[in-house]
Amino acid sequence: MNPAPPGTPAPQAAVTVDRTAAPADAAIRTEGLRRTFPSGVALEGLDLWVRRGEVLALLGPNGAGKTTTVRLLNGILAPDAGSASVLGHDPAVDGDAVRRVTGVLTENAGLDDRLTVRENLVFTARVRGMAKREAERRTAELTERFGLADRLDQRTAGFSTGQRKRLALARALIHDPEVLFLDEPTSGLDPSATRDVVALIGSLAADHGRTIVLCTHFLGEAGRLADRMAVLDHGRLHAFGRPEELAAQLWQGVTVDVDLGAPCPPATLADLAVHDSGPTPTGCWVRLATREEIPRLVRALVERGHTVYGVGERQRDLEEIYFAIEARITGAAA
Amino acid sequence: MTAAHVPAERADHRAGNSRPDWAAIRALAARDLLAVRRSKAVMLPMLLVPALLLIVLPIVLAIAAGRSDPGGIGRFVESLPENLSAPIIDLPENERIIVLVHGHLLAPLFLIVPLMVSAVIAADAFAGEKERRSIESLLYLPVSDRDLFLAKIIASLVPAVAISWIGFALYALVSNVSAWPIMHRVFLPTSLWMVVILWVAPAVALLGLGVMVRVSARATTTQEANQLGGAVILPLIFLALGQSTGLLLLDLPVAIAVGLAVWLVALLLTANGARRFARDRLAAQV
Repeated sequence: MNPAPPGTPAPQAAVTVDRTAAPADAAIRTEGLRRTFPSGVALEGLDLWVRRGEVLALLGPNGAGKTTTVRLLNGILAPDAGSASVLGHDPAVDGDAVRRVTGVLTENAGLDDRLTVRENLVFTARVRGMAKREAERRTAELTERFGLADRLDQRTAGFSTGQRKRLALARALIHDPEVLFLDEPTSGLDPSATRDVVALIGSLAADHGRTIVLCTHFLGEAGRLADRMAVLDHGRLHAFGRPEELAAQLWQGVTVDVDLGAPCPPATLADLAVHDSGPTPTGCWVRLATREEIPRLVRALVERGHTVYGVGERQRDLEEIYFAIEARITGAAA
Repeated sequence: MTAAHVPAERADHRAGNSRPDWAAIRALAARDLLAVRRSKAVMLPMLLVPALLLIVLPIVLAIAAGRSDPGGIGRFVESLPENLSAPIIDLPENERIIVLVHGHLLAPLFLIVPLMVSAVIAADAFAGEKERRSIESLLYLPVSDRDLFLAKIIASLVPAVAISWIGFALYALVSNVSAWPIMHRVFLPTSLWMVVILWVAPAVALLGLGVMVRVSARATTTQEANQLGGAVILPLIFLALGQSTGLLLLDLPVAIAVGLAVWLVALLLTANGARRFARDRLAAQV
């Protein structure tokens, strides 16, 4: 597990799942979704929802139940209990209707290496009901976008992981789906391609109103893209909501970083009589009950002879929130 | 991003989900066939065995017949069971071996062709899809389990039957041409051969396919499926041996009956395979 960033206070409050009823415009909704395999429970009572045009980061360690969730939502696995809806279609009842409006990038690209880039894409387009000319047009458009235009008639055997991933992403987008499920979309990509793919995902949601479920271990990428996050572990949902809402539950009050130009002496910190505090290389961090206490803190420091160069309210990033949740899960299990 | 256009009538048609979506089935089957055509490991045995059985063997036999001792052939034919030797015994001695081998003894052996071709393609289409890890991306397509299965059946069955029929046409041509100096007439196809080609061969192709579908449900690689499915070849080899030693006489009524039995077994196996070919089961194995 990655260590928490310096000056990170231990989470105080229990993280709860957002139990708010799914809104009317939810593109995806699950209620009590459960699936077991002979090896054990893969998913237990999953309740979550995603609004149209939102990006949901589905996070958790390997074996948490992320892939099972994607498969259940696309109707390629049937639930043992519970229900789901994707754009109003029940995947367990009409999987084909769901799969017509979704595009899925699986963790393994799943290409047939005996086919060329063009054949892989045109085949998918044709099965999805596109006319031949339309399929060719989309193929040309997407291969251009994903930097594969010069390899259009090459077989995919021998392609690098990044090239395979880009082709698989093009295939997932070939029919311009309303809902996208992306499993590790940037693994194996070089930094430049990663930046492009992250920008594309962001644009698909923000500019084109596509709903995206992003399964990833790259928390920085999830943090840049996600409107909402769900943390699964051993098939159970441990946290679900907007990152800032989850942060508010994890850390009560506000945490501010104070720049004093040098580490704050322990005596000063003890004098401040705040909830919690600690030194940093350039000053200290202090947890306050409300933002309104910040001026009082600055005054107290000035009165004690310190020069305050700056005060900033700390924004918890998704990575910090995730590890705090994971720490809670591990603690609860212990 | 420019939106992709799926014709509304097509989408409406699919929403019904009651009739097969032939456009999707055609695309899926074409993709499987294209992939098979590009695979040397699949194509080599598929072409080599028919070439040996249907082209090289008749030429060799024709040459051997031309150089054989007529008295020896006569004694051999007279030693055969009566219903096998009856259509041959009255022929000139140097024609007997040609008609015996080309007209009768090779017929069961020929059935190895549709069996092998359908089994090899089916192993690639079912177990191979798992081995290449491409099955998951197929499962995410808006195609019903039935249509997906149907496409794979077509992709395996059509080439098996086509290769058998084209192979037989070549076999008949080569046999008639190479035996012309002895026979001075077209002697193939016989009525037995027509039954074998048109009735028994497609049944045998479906049998190979049905077995391979079942075997592929457990196998994780094409090689494993081929090894397990290879056991199907054995009964056919016994049939051929039986014919050649006179233990089993494949005359017309027997050929029709054998064909019927094979159809029944093959259809049962394939129907059972279709029931097991379900997304949930396949996805759980990925």
